[in-house]
Amino acid sequence: MSILRLSHVEIRVPDLELATAYYTEVVGMYETAREPDRVFLKCWDEHQHHSVILVFAPTYGLSHMGWKVSERADLDLYADRLQQAGVAVSRHAHGELGPGHGEAIRFTMPSGHLMELTYGMEQVGNLLPLTNPPPRPLGLVGFAPPRIDHVFITCEDVGANTAFLQQVLHFHLTEQILGDDGFQVATWLEHSHSSHDIALVTGQDGGLHHFAWWVDDWNAIREVADVLAYHGVRIETNPTRHGATRGHCLYFFDPAGNRNEAFTGGYVVDPDEPPVTWTEAEMGRAIFYYDGVVNQQFLTVHS
Amino acid sequence: MGILRLAHVDVVVTDLDLATAYYTEVMGLLESERDADSVYLKCWDEPGHHSLRLVYGPRVGFDQMSFRVEREDDLDDLENAVQRYGFPVTRVSKGERLGQGESIWFQTPSGQVMELVHDIEYVGRSTPLINPSPVIEGLKGIAPPRMDHVLVTCEEVGEATKFYQDVLGFRTTEQLLDGQGHQVATWMERSHSPHDLALVTGKNGGLHHFAFWLDDWDHVRRSADILAYNGIQIDVGPTRHGITRGNTIYFFDPLGTRNEVFTGGYRPDPDFPTITWTEDNIGRAVFYYEGDLNTRFMTVHT
Repeated sequence: MSILRLSHVEIRVPDLELATAYYTEVVGMYETAREPDRVFLKCWDEHQHHSVILVFAPTYGLSHMGWKVSERADLDLYADRLQQAGVAVSRHAHGELGPGHGEAIRFTMPSGHLMELTYGMEQVGNLLPLTNPPPRPLGLVGFAPPRIDHVFITCEDVGANTAFLQQVLHFHLTEQILGDDGFQVATWLEHSHSSHDIALVTGQDGGLHHFAWWVDDWNAIREVADVLAYHGVRIETNPTRHGATRGHCLYFFDPAGNRNEAFTGGYVVDPDEPPVTWTEAEMGRAIFYYDGVVNQQFLTVHS
Repeated sequence: MGILRLAHVDVVVTDLDLATAYYTEVMGLLESERDADSVYLKCWDEPGHHSLRLVYGPRVGFDQMSFRVEREDDLDDLENAVQRYGFPVTRVSKGERLGQGESIWFQTPSGQVMELVHDIEYVGRSTPLINPSPVIEGLKGIAPPRMDHVLVTCEEVGEATKFYQDVLGFRTTEQLLDGQGHQVATWMERSHSPHDLALVTGKNGGLHHFAFWLDDWDHVRRSADILAYNGIQIDVGPTRHGITRGNTIYFFDPLGTRNEVFTGGYRPDPDFPTITWTEDNIGRAVFYYEGDLNTRFMTVHT
């Protein structure tokens, strides 16, 4: 059928213990497995084995991003499409890529980002029973987002990489910022009928701008800010709103310097809806609707 | 492929002007078009022609529910599937119905008329496609961004659920079982939400309610304020469901059709395991805070 949604991100951290402490105590994710150099984490409402993997590395950044497909046959379908487009694909058996991991294919985007499509990740269940469940568990730690939401990457040629995602992987373009020269400065694309599952902004190839968790609503954004400030975590922007995607958001950094976001809002889209276009003159409002200005740090810092 | 989401709900009203006044002034929907016997309405954030059609008739009731399919050729596949199940299917040509192209319709085992359509006239959201502000000014009433789901009544929930699953590809996210293990009510989805369609035991062909999506719990509170200000009869809420986890208010339009405003829930993948509620927990399943069902909620439908 197709790609369903973002499955997981693997994030490089130079201090595995410090990062694990932050992602479990401050964010409030749950550790599901551990290897000597990797820690596997999930959010409380996720049924699958992991949505964030921390990997020990001398630097920070995105090691790979994984996408869940709805059927096993999708792995063959996309492997064929990728190979026809001249992209090398590697195949990985169930469990080969780590504990709980499903069957997968891996390839590299034109931007150099390692991408994975995966089917059959182990289902470990959310924190609620399957019979007569209460709507939420009590005793959650940190700001405890229910699930991962999207990933935002940097690349030199946004246009070419957007075309790759659309043409080879059937992503649907929902929004774009066009420079005065007509080139795409940033794009937002989806598979899950949401405002975006992935976004691209002009920058260094292979870079991670941020990845985001979903939170319930604007009130939850305030709670995230309270929890982060209490723990002394560096908050980059105040609780605010995007013009592009309409989402409410808060940006902050993990101890390694990877940017995180708490996100809510937006809209639902049908796959054939035309994209929204932002012009360069309105780029400030596109990114931060209330301030109307994008700060230099937000434009230049990535991992 | 297959069904995407609920497209529109068509209800019969005995007073078209009164119903239109309520749905535009209190609910805050926008009128797209009008013909001899119908008014076509949409929410501000919906790109399609309409999500609610009010049809004039001598008796309040449910005309049909219409779902959008992802591709035009899904209509052929689903037409064949419904016919193989043994139910006749009628084709409607482009131009016969306002705001949409070719469609098919059939009677379902739960007794409702169901329409499937791909080609919906694009009129656009109320925000522009170039540099849109995330909100628009001057909306009236509750102004939900979109239609969300429909809950219908039928005599044999189990049999009907099997039809929606096996023939139309719906996935059951939650079910309420009686002491003998029979399905009393089921919640099914196609749009990765807790439900697009739900069935509850009652008369065949009935409508229990249809629901509009709201932004969040704060929007639920503002909706309750607006309903009370306008003297609308609230049935239940603001409260929360155990099933779907949604926050909600139920109320009645001036002609007696139950409406809901709904937000929250979760994002199930197609392999989501079905959640089961047992009859001894029916109170919390439906109204989590009260833990109790009122008789009006159980028995009144259109």
